[in-house]
Amino acid sequence: MKVSQLLERRREQWRDLELLCQELEDRRIRKMGGEAVSRFAALYRAACADLALADAYRLPPDTVQYLHHLVGRSHNQLYRSQLFRWREWAHELFDVLPKRLLHDRVLWLAFAIFWGIFGLSLMLAYSSRSYVVELLGESTLAHLQESFAKPIVGRDPNASGAMAGFYVIHNAGIGLRCFAAGLLLGIGGLFATVFNAVQIGAIFGYMLTVSERDNFLNFVTAHGPFELTAVVLSAAAGMRLGFSLVATGGMTRMAALQAASTQAVPTMGAAVVLFCLAAMIEGFLSPSSAPYEVKAAVAILSAALLVFYIVGLGIRRD
Amino acid sequence: MLNSPGQLDSRIEIVTPENIAFQYVLAGPFRRLPAFLIDCAIRAVALLALFLFGTLTSIVGATGFGLGMALVVWFVLSWFYGGIFETLWNGQTPGKRLFNLRVLSLDGQPINALQAVLRNVLRDADALPIIGFSVEFGLPLYILGLTVMAANDRFQRLGDLAAGTIVVVEQRSKLRGLAAIAQQPEVIQFSQNLPVNAVISRALTSALAVYVTRRELFSAPRRWEIARTLAEPLCQRFGLPADTNPDLLLCTLYYRTFIADRPASEERAGIALPELAKAGEA
Repeated sequence: MKVSQLLERRREQWRDLELLCQELEDRRIRKMGGEAVSRFAALYRAACADLALADAYRLPPDTVQYLHHLVGRSHNQLYRSQLFRWREWAHELFDVLPKRLLHDRVLWLAFAIFWGIFGLSLMLAYSSRSYVVELLGESTLAHLQESFAKPIVGRDPNASGAMAGFYVIHNAGIGLRCFAAGLLLGIGGLFATVFNAVQIGAIFGYMLTVSERDNFLNFVTAHGPFELTAVVLSAAAGMRLGFSLVATGGMTRMAALQAASTQAVPTMGAAVVLFCLAAMIEGFLSPSSAPYEVKAAVAILSAALLVFYIVGLGIRRD
Repeated sequence: MLNSPGQLDSRIEIVTPENIAFQYVLAGPFRRLPAFLIDCAIRAVALLALFLFGTLTSIVGATGFGLGMALVVWFVLSWFYGGIFETLWNGQTPGKRLFNLRVLSLDGQPINALQAVLRNVLRDADALPIIGFSVEFGLPLYILGLTVMAANDRFQRLGDLAAGTIVVVEQRSKLRGLAAIAQQPEVIQFSQNLPVNAVISRALTSALAVYVTRRELFSAPRRWEIARTLAEPLCQRFGLPADTNPDLLLCTLYYRTFIADRPASEERAGIALPELAKAGEA
């Protein structure tokens, strides 16, 4: 048997495999039919066998190169990425994630840091005006007071839609950025958490001292629980990534990072969902003329939901 | 060439469930940049379309809702464009598809949705530092990502490291036949002069194939010069006259190895080619 004969014999099949690959790459799998697909698999196995025996066949190097490319290309068509599996994701969201959140020490660390510094900053701002001026600047304060000068009487519902969209892109964007920054040894996430806590705390403290107080509270109450929890969640998810590089738990750094990221992504997903919910409330309910009692009820309900989600679902045993 | 362990870098060997080892070329920053720019351009066009859509709806009267929708779509596009495409398109975005790149798991398996989303969200950390007046509208320099890519041997940026993914080039090459020059009559004629047992080693076989497929790129004196290094010891071994044309000798050996019938001794050595070829056809 000569190499030239062998090549002549196999060439046809390799060409066929190439054509089938092209069709699969163009996503024509439905049109191809079962027969062509199983033929593709058979041809792929044959090409694999040819590649394995290339040395014994004494194929010339450029043919071997060709076979490597052909097998690689077919491999990627045969083994495909799994699509979004909604059922598994629901299981992850309602069974696995709450348990993980409840027992996630990084989350409680982020929680403690955020609310501790928030409270501290709020008290400082409440008691001393110079702290706020130092932190935010006079112009920001004037702008803040001006935006809450008028009582909230509701606005054009169309504008609410635009604002809800804006809150999604702005707030969830900040959350995701905070998450990504956490990768930098956790410092990025820590910094973002502290920064947010100081700033938001100062704004709250300051607004409690001025005459626009009621308007301000009227606006922020309803969406507060979801939004602030989402901030904490995304910071915690980022810190989990970053800390895994430092405290590896006996694994290599890369293995620790990969293990941590499988845990961090669902947490971040939950944060994005919360950001979107908060944006809907912030866009539609918060600026509406609904009485304060309704807004407070929504705030209490959403806080209760969060507690139920993390503690109630998390504490269950299988 | 591929059987040698000589190629150290930017190759990754993957062993498939069929127990076949094959190699991919890893995609470095310069291979990935064009694909990245294409994806950026697609998103820019989408942003423009969304902006037009938002403005049009507010002119028509449904102020706000259209704009709100456009903003939400823009949010999804800017953060999850790569994640969604790489999940649905088996590790490719439009840009990657255009340049034959594909994202795979470290072990060569396809990526899942979680990996796809993670590596694209973490792009934000890779993009640092961002110059400009704000994080949203700055110019990302990707210095961190490039540094990390340069520091590991698989060209992984931070997002790839966290998600356990690599980007490979899905190369395509045309199947070329055997070199036609070896069919020439003088080669066949010269083949008679070679001893019947003129068998050469495997490594030499590939060197020979590389030479013969590329010899047409060289002028005749240059061919002579290159081929002489190999031809002189072979002449001595086969007992050929010293003034044999080295180019012709190598072409003949090529002909003998790949095209002419194998010497009977080699067939006996257990390389049962016909059966194996049939097994492949099954």
